[in-house]
Amino acid sequence: MFKSTLAWIDQRFPLTHFIKNDLADYPTPRNLSYWWNFGSLAGLVLVMQLVTGIFLAMHYKPDIATAFDSIQHIMRDVNYGWLLRYMHSTGASAFFAVIYIHMARTLYHGSYRAPRELLWWTGQGLLLLLMATAFMGYLLPWGQMSYWGAAVITNLFRATPFFGEQVVVWLRGDFQVGDATLTRFYALHFLFPFIIVGAVMIHLIALHTVKSSNPRGIELKPKDNIPFHPYYTIKDMLGVAVYLVVFSAFVFFVPNTLIEAANNIPANPMQTPAHIVPEWYFLPFYAILRSVPDLAGGVAAMGLSVLIFAAMPYLDRSRIPGGARYRPAYRFLFFIFLADMLVLGYVGAVPVTADTAIVGRVATEIYFLTFLLLPWISKKEEAYLIKRGLPPAVEEFLQNNANKKH
Amino acid sequence: MNKRFLLPLLLSLFSSFALANEIELEHDPIPTDRASVLRGAEQVATVCSSCHGLKYVQYRSLLDLGIAKETVDVWRGDKPLNSAMKPQMAPDDAAAAFGVTPPDLSLMAVAREGGVHYLYSYLMGYGVGANGETTNRIFTVTKMPDVLGISAASDAKQREEISAKAKDITAFLNWAADPRAGDRRSLGIYVIIYLLIMTILLFLWKKQIWRKIDAMEKL
Repeated sequence: MFKSTLAWIDQRFPLTHFIKNDLADYPTPRNLSYWWNFGSLAGLVLVMQLVTGIFLAMHYKPDIATAFDSIQHIMRDVNYGWLLRYMHSTGASAFFAVIYIHMARTLYHGSYRAPRELLWWTGQGLLLLLMATAFMGYLLPWGQMSYWGAAVITNLFRATPFFGEQVVVWLRGDFQVGDATLTRFYALHFLFPFIIVGAVMIHLIALHTVKSSNPRGIELKPKDNIPFHPYYTIKDMLGVAVYLVVFSAFVFFVPNTLIEAANNIPANPMQTPAHIVPEWYFLPFYAILRSVPDLAGGVAAMGLSVLIFAAMPYLDRSRIPGGARYRPAYRFLFFIFLADMLVLGYVGAVPVTADTAIVGRVATEIYFLTFLLLPWISKKEEAYLIKRGLPPAVEEFLQNNANKKH
Repeated sequence: MNKRFLLPLLLSLFSSFALANEIELEHDPIPTDRASVLRGAEQVATVCSSCHGLKYVQYRSLLDLGIAKETVDVWRGDKPLNSAMKPQMAPDDAAAAFGVTPPDLSLMAVAREGGVHYLYSYLMGYGVGANGETTNRIFTVTKMPDVLGISAASDAKQREEISAKAKDITAFLNWAADPRAGDRRSLGIYVIIYLLIMTILLFLWKKQIWRKIDAMEKL
């Protein structure tokens, strides 16, 4: 019965083919570290955000008169409403944490390099979608920080050439952030996750075309690939379990650490909070924005700081394969970049003083320099490494590349 | 990056950190035991609610907290059990008398930087200014009088009593800000234990499945 049903389906839809080729027997390098778990984790977080979000939407009221109250209604009166809300608010931060680690792994191991450029760029698109979704979702509780965060960020679009004013009004639906803004952000916050699901499919199709990279950055011989199931199904499940322990510790014991105190005060357009800060995941980019004195320049620098990741496949000019594994200068640059991100995050979180302004400006310059010096550094490093002598695996890789060209 | 540059960078980081905390909050531990919360409830229901409401706290939920029905009946007067804790003074009258509408207290324990420590420090922050006027070092423009009387308290015993009262009030408002926190923590313990057991089992299972691969030469 089962077999004949499956045969019936397979004549009309490649079900068995899909399960075999893309799930069970999908060839995966055997040397992936646990840093490779974060892709599947991001998928899990997306699903959890979708499910909790839909249940929250059943109780939330997108109207400036009732939005704040409806959150308290969820927290106090809805059965396990507090769990839904804390899972969703913690989940937003968790999503960025997972994605940033996923990106850091890609950068560290040079996974963005040929032939994975499109995989990297679809990921870049996913990051932008995630940022937009999180930003719009943050308005919905209609607290002070929700309101002023949205006011400050939408105001940045004033820097648009020629149509600045119109673009800001178009985004807000009004001259100020108000009811029209709340309802449209709600509608889009509901829509975007489904666009993200579609974009994830594209990301996965690209992945399954080029297959996973690995810590060596050199394609493995077929004998060193192992089937996805059971090896990576069990490894991903273990990753999920560890993730859930950490996530639950936040949700059940310190769910408020990531909620600004000012957001427990209903939005008040007449009163600016002493100190407007975005959520932690935007802090480095916010610091870059504030480090450029002029608005248009700041917005351009901030936009560039997010988009510049897309240029990585071209900025990295080394013929030595992979990322940090065989390339000490690249590894050093990676950790400089990471430390610089932390400094920028700190600068973004504190009020601007003469000191933090200087630190912010220097950190912004270092941020862009790590990217812009990469073509030169990667070439210098390549020459040095070749002169010093390469490991046999890398030597063989370069030899193969040279043979292909002839 | 050379070392001569790194040091000023670190120093400037720490100096700005010091600048950020100008108002010193008192970090006395705020009790979370039921007795303190109940004593605080009485203070809030009989003293604070002359002017302040708690619009997200219904009288009914005080019963769940363990306060006797008769006591709650006295506090609520003719308001129904599922009514929110409303202020006795009409907000407009209070605004006329004090110059501002007294804020709602439902979320007060989480609505200020520093949370419960802010709230306790504020209640204890009253003093006497140069011209004999009452001041508050935490929230200098406050319109609320020194209800607990800390600014007039001279001897240590009196201060101790007022401090205990302020802690009880803070404890109750902390409960009021998130009444489900108790459920949350007790459920959380079971969830974490369950997940830890699952993690250990999955770890062993993973080891078992991977043992041949793990024995191979590292790549």
